[in-house]
Amino acid sequence: MEITVNDTSYTIDVEPEMPLLWVLRDELGITGPKYGCGIAQCGACTVHVNGYALRSCQLAVGDLGDSKVKTIEGLGAPDSLHFVQQAWIENQVAQCGYCQSGQIMQAASLLSTNPNPSDDQIDAAMSGNLCRCGTYPRIRTAVKAAAKKLQEV
Amino acid sequence: MSKMLLHKGLVVTLSLSSAIVFTVAMAADEKVEISPPAAGSVSKAQGLNAWSRIFQVASHPRCANCHTGPSDRPMWSGPSYGKPRVHGMNIQAGNSRIGAETILCSTCHTTKSDDWDNANTTKHAAPRVAMSWALAPANAHWFGRTTRQICEQLRDPETNGGRDTLEIAEHLNHDLILHWAWSPGGNREPAPYSLQEHVNDILAWGVAGTPCPEDQSGG
Repeated sequence: MEITVNDTSYTIDVEPEMPLLWVLRDELGITGPKYGCGIAQCGACTVHVNGYALRSCQLAVGDLGDSKVKTIEGLGAPDSLHFVQQAWIENQVAQCGYCQSGQIMQAASLLSTNPNPSDDQIDAAMSGNLCRCGTYPRIRTAVKAAAKKLQEV
Repeated sequence: MSKMLLHKGLVVTLSLSSAIVFTVAMAADEKVEISPPAAGSVSKAQGLNAWSRIFQVASHPRCANCHTGPSDRPMWSGPSYGKPRVHGMNIQAGNSRIGAETILCSTCHTTKSDDWDNANTTKHAAPRVAMSWALAPANAHWFGRTTRQICEQLRDPETNGGRDTLEIAEHLNHDLILHWAWSPGGNREPAPYSLQEHVNDILAWGVAGTPCPEDQSGG
């Protein structure tokens, strides 16, 4: 089957029930999305499918159809960071960093549909992304900073 | 496997005999017959018996957990959850009932192909069906409600989506998120009876005049 990840088409030979996360990491070598729990309890594997956040451990690749996948690798580039990535750096959000690609993808998805979220809306959108380092206060600060950048664009 | 589907095609055959019979062919060889009893053939007492079984289904955690009424927070309750509690992760379905305001239900409850029958075998994983996961409309408030309250809601077209009982049965037939209640997977307890038995009870209850417990006169 063919899938499109970060604007690149790939032909893969896998079982259709294989989780998208497995395909990304083990078949395509795209390792930004992390394996945390495998049951949609942690959010470390979050990617965008047609622009919306989705736990890639939960979507069978055969159910992707023509949908387009974007991972943290396709969100921005070192010389042209996504405004959420920029806010993450400016607020030094990450500690160990393992969950952060999922956090950033979830935050980017939130801001694409709600450019000026309240604290409660940020908490509601981000509560499914766990961080064992407890960087939650900095995550909220960075989401608000990214929202402010978005307002200025 | 086919690609994501929000709705599936229905093959409907119609025959006229003692009753109207709809046979809806669905994926995975699952078939439900919609065959209402003949008019006048179901007494009020029989209708109330049918309702008592319908209530057992509607109030079961597999159904009621997502029928939370004015609250936009789905519930986690039932034998596999211990003490009832609101859905973890601060999930709020919002006015959209699909979480569009903050995080879509389908972020975790992904949409599966209609021919993938064993998609929900992993314990504790987010269940998935071959349509978009969603909270029931606010009017359809079942969690924690009495048999009388649910009965009145379901028989009133103003609060049941404008349906008569035949249309409720059809809704049960083609809305695949409802089918999940009888095959939830993981270690979740399924809703009682079977989908076919539930449809039969809905139809019998309708022919009996949709009686509710504590009605002063006929339903």
